[in-house]
Amino acid sequence: MLIPRRVKHRKQHHPKRGGMSKGGNTVAFGDFGIQALEPAYVTNRQIEAARIAMTRYMKRGGKVWINIYPDRPLTKKPAETRMGSGKGSPEWWIANVKPGRVMFELSGVSEEVAREALRLAMHKLPMKCRFIAREGGDF
Amino acid sequence: MVQKELRIATDIRTEFGKGAARRIRRADKIPAVLYGHGTEPVHLTLPGHEMMMALKHSNAILTLEIEGEDQLALAKDVQRHIIKPFIEHVDLVIVRRGEKVTVDVPIHLEGEAAPGTSVYVENNEITIEADAMNIPESFTVSIEGLEVGSQILAKDVPLPTGVDLAVDEELLIVNVTEERLAEIPEDEETEAAEGETAEDQEKSADTED
Repeated sequence: MLIPRRVKHRKQHHPKRGGMSKGGNTVAFGDFGIQALEPAYVTNRQIEAARIAMTRYMKRGGKVWINIYPDRPLTKKPAETRMGSGKGSPEWWIANVKPGRVMFELSGVSEEVAREALRLAMHKLPMKCRFIAREGGDF
Repeated sequence: MVQKELRIATDIRTEFGKGAARRIRRADKIPAVLYGHGTEPVHLTLPGHEMMMALKHSNAILTLEIEGEDQLALAKDVQRHIIKPFIEHVDLVIVRRGEKVTVDVPIHLEGEAAPGTSVYVENNEITIEADAMNIPESFTVSIEGLEVGSQILAKDVPLPTGVDLAVDEELLIVNVTEERLAEIPEDEETEAAEGETAEDQEKSADTED
């Protein structure tokens, strides 16, 4: 699972959810991709689940790119704890994904296989997504 | 394959800024700017649908009708909305007949490589120098029967006469490698074990401020 090796600050504020993705909005490496249509925090577990779903379907061949990285920690206070007494302990590692971001890319497979693999991966993600193909590509 | 001429009727833009630009977009038109050859930039309004159809061709040479005069132009930069299917702004550069222009042309593959191979396209486009009126829309490269270890370089792309490469001849376009199985965990227990390991790493990785 993706996790930062070392961080400067163990507990951070929640990342901003507003706005659209400024970069990484196009399929840059592969032929097909998953584009986010809503903002969301994507955890490292969700990224891994999506990756496993698509590689399991593709079986052989194909190359996968993961364009997001869960570098932001989110904290949580234990259950039945009174407010105060400082910030909770880190619970999740998340990537702050904004609309338009191409999160996963695929190449080396046919469009039908890519569509199904990415559809399965989309079900592991916490936001509305869509399948996109490279602009000016063969598909 | 050379493109046909695309004729676009334009209006000169007199008001500027985001308010004016948004009004133009609401009317299904596209704000644009035309410049090049040392001339003063001209701000234009283009028809939305026609322009979108014209830009489906890569490196389309447009004939713009500006106040009764024709002007040849090439789309230099197209700003599209990230999610919605419309064009926000277009930068057009003036071209003249007989002039050589440097453009990126997409490469398409045809055929099937040998069984047991994976084909990776390392560069989807190739930069060429061509006559402005004869820009190829795309290049087709055959990968039929290519074996593991085969490579297609920029110099191997068949170019029509009058078209020159504007990149390194050794630029890798297509790489054929051995097909490999994707890394799939054997069963769910393995995944859980990975999860535990990652959580342990998480605790150990948390360094103090």
